[in-house]
Amino acid sequence: MPFLRRLLIVEWSGLAVAIVLGSVLLAVLTPNFMTEYNIYVMLRSFCVGLLVGFAQMVTLGVGQMNISVGAIGGLVAISFGGMMEALGVPLVLAVPLAIAIGALCGLINGVLTARTGINGFIITLATASAFTGINLGITEAIPFYNMPAALVAFGDERFFAFPYLLIAPIIVTALLMLFFARTVPGRQLLAVGGNPHAADLSGISRERTIVLAHVLSGGLAAIAAVLAVAQLGSAQPSIGADWLLLSFAAPIIGGAALTGGYVSVVGTTLAVILIALIENGMVLANVDPYWVQFLLGALILAAVWLNRWRAVKTGTD
Amino acid sequence: MSETTGPASPVRNRRPFLGGASGQVGLLAIVAIFWFIFSTLAPGFLSSFNLYALGRSLAVDIVIGFSQMVVLATGGMNLAVGSIGVCAVMAAGFLLQDLGLPISVGFAGALLLGGALGWLNGFAIVKTGVNAFIITLASASLFLGAMLILTKAVPYNGLPPEIGAFGRARLFGIVSPLLIIAIAIGAALVVLYRFTALGRQILAAGANPRAAAMSGVPVDRVIVISHVLSGMLAAAAGLMVVTRLGAAMPATGGEEWLLPSFLGPVLGGTLLSGGSVAVIGTMIGAALVTTIRSGLLVLQIGNFWLQLFLGLILLFAVLVDRYRSVYAERRSVGVKS
Repeated sequence: MPFLRRLLIVEWSGLAVAIVLGSVLLAVLTPNFMTEYNIYVMLRSFCVGLLVGFAQMVTLGVGQMNISVGAIGGLVAISFGGMMEALGVPLVLAVPLAIAIGALCGLINGVLTARTGINGFIITLATASAFTGINLGITEAIPFYNMPAALVAFGDERFFAFPYLLIAPIIVTALLMLFFARTVPGRQLLAVGGNPHAADLSGISRERTIVLAHVLSGGLAAIAAVLAVAQLGSAQPSIGADWLLLSFAAPIIGGAALTGGYVSVVGTTLAVILIALIENGMVLANVDPYWVQFLLGALILAAVWLNRWRAVKTGTD
Repeated sequence: MSETTGPASPVRNRRPFLGGASGQVGLLAIVAIFWFIFSTLAPGFLSSFNLYALGRSLAVDIVIGFSQMVVLATGGMNLAVGSIGVCAVMAAGFLLQDLGLPISVGFAGALLLGGALGWLNGFAIVKTGVNAFIITLASASLFLGAMLILTKAVPYNGLPPEIGAFGRARLFGIVSPLLIIAIAIGAALVVLYRFTALGRQILAAGANPRAAAMSGVPVDRVIVISHVLSGMLAAAAGLMVVTRLGAAMPATGGEEWLLPSFLGPVLGGTLLSGGSVAVIGTMIGAALVTTIRSGLLVLQIGNFWLQLFLGLILLFAVLVDRYRSVYAERRSVGVKS
């Protein structure tokens, strides 16, 4: 069965099948699914999730993890909103500044992890708490409501079913694919994740690569935060509080290796589409929203199990 | 008595926080310094009511820390501590209020559920060989979701009044019976890890699974047992909150327990890499967390900055630990490996 074998090796084939089947099922069962407005809503909710998944994916690629993705998102969101509302910084300046703040948070994570050699889990757990603390300390949990009209419009308006918000994730996806497939730092990142010792021997700086991955992760979390502010129309301190599970779910369901060295931009994208589809289906079917939490957990376990099964079947393990 | 227990291991980097017993004295000194600062700045800190309230929340923090510590001992981790805790809380509420069972049966049922959920974690980890982080991250969501679906997030407010009365009880005016229970659990854990074959097997499996397996330790079973223990301890912490509130609330536990569960053991000197536990250290670590939380509350700095403080303290602790061990290594070996 060479065809089936090939299909098994493409890690996102199952996801694509699931998405197609799910869409067909939803289209048949619920007449509201295929409406222009519903597709717009789904695409719009997909934007932030995708960047959250990417933010974790780059750290998984180098064999690390970043518990503080959501905390960085929250801190960036309120800094972004705060500098526009309280300090009057123009939007064009606020966006790059916000991304820089996220990258700076990532730099702190990266330097602390790479220089000390301490488990990245515990470092980013600590920094996550610190970032969230700064966020809540500054805002006392009160959002910034007065966002520039241009930003709110960008988060709201659409061309038929295509939300303008989607432009950002499309650009980021293309850049990330290019980064991992064609650039030297991208290849080095995966090399360090796959086999740190071999990477060391071939002259790649492990420290610098880990720092790079964390900076990228912080920057991507920051873009997610900016999009979330645009989507909500206000800078909520609670942005990012529920990103932890999603951030791991997307790349892992998308086929990333937990041990590092392998990530799939396409797989992660499809995983986020699948999650958006499930959430949308639940809403349309009027199911208890608590089921989303339950299903997301089940989906991760299923993906982990499937990845192992495939590794055994295709003999790549 | 040197309290950090672990099998004699030749591996150099397995060095407990601040070098074992002396580290715990250091940690205790830090707690004392915070007590001095808070009681100077806010006289209300030493009032008998505040001391009582502090002891009561300390009891919960200690048991949450233990729940994480027992899996850290095997080199794993359990992100589902808070989810298991709240599942046990709501199970207790269901058994006591909806089924009207006696308190002892209801609480035993909740502890059993905690153990069963822990067993599921351990079983999945051992069977798939996937790391504990991702399994328990997923199961945390699964457990919490199932609890919310089943209970619709409606609290149980009509528990027998004896439960709330026990939670409000004071021994000698300032000591909560919950604190006594937490200390008793600690004593039982010291016995487990120091004096029983199972305890030594758990530590051996955590320090070096392959070597342990070769010397006949049933590594998989030991990991599953540790997760069962972790689940039961999480349930116990949840039940403590039930007695404190006199009700079973669906907002108990969850992700809010994640940081405290790691803070206690890590500050106390339990290694993330496995193979060691510091029971008394975990209790002192929990005391530091509770002290800071209570002090900030009394000083009316509020909960908003608490997270920042806790994060920085955790960071500080792991960094000090790291540089201590690097320094000690250089001194004893002469060169860094």
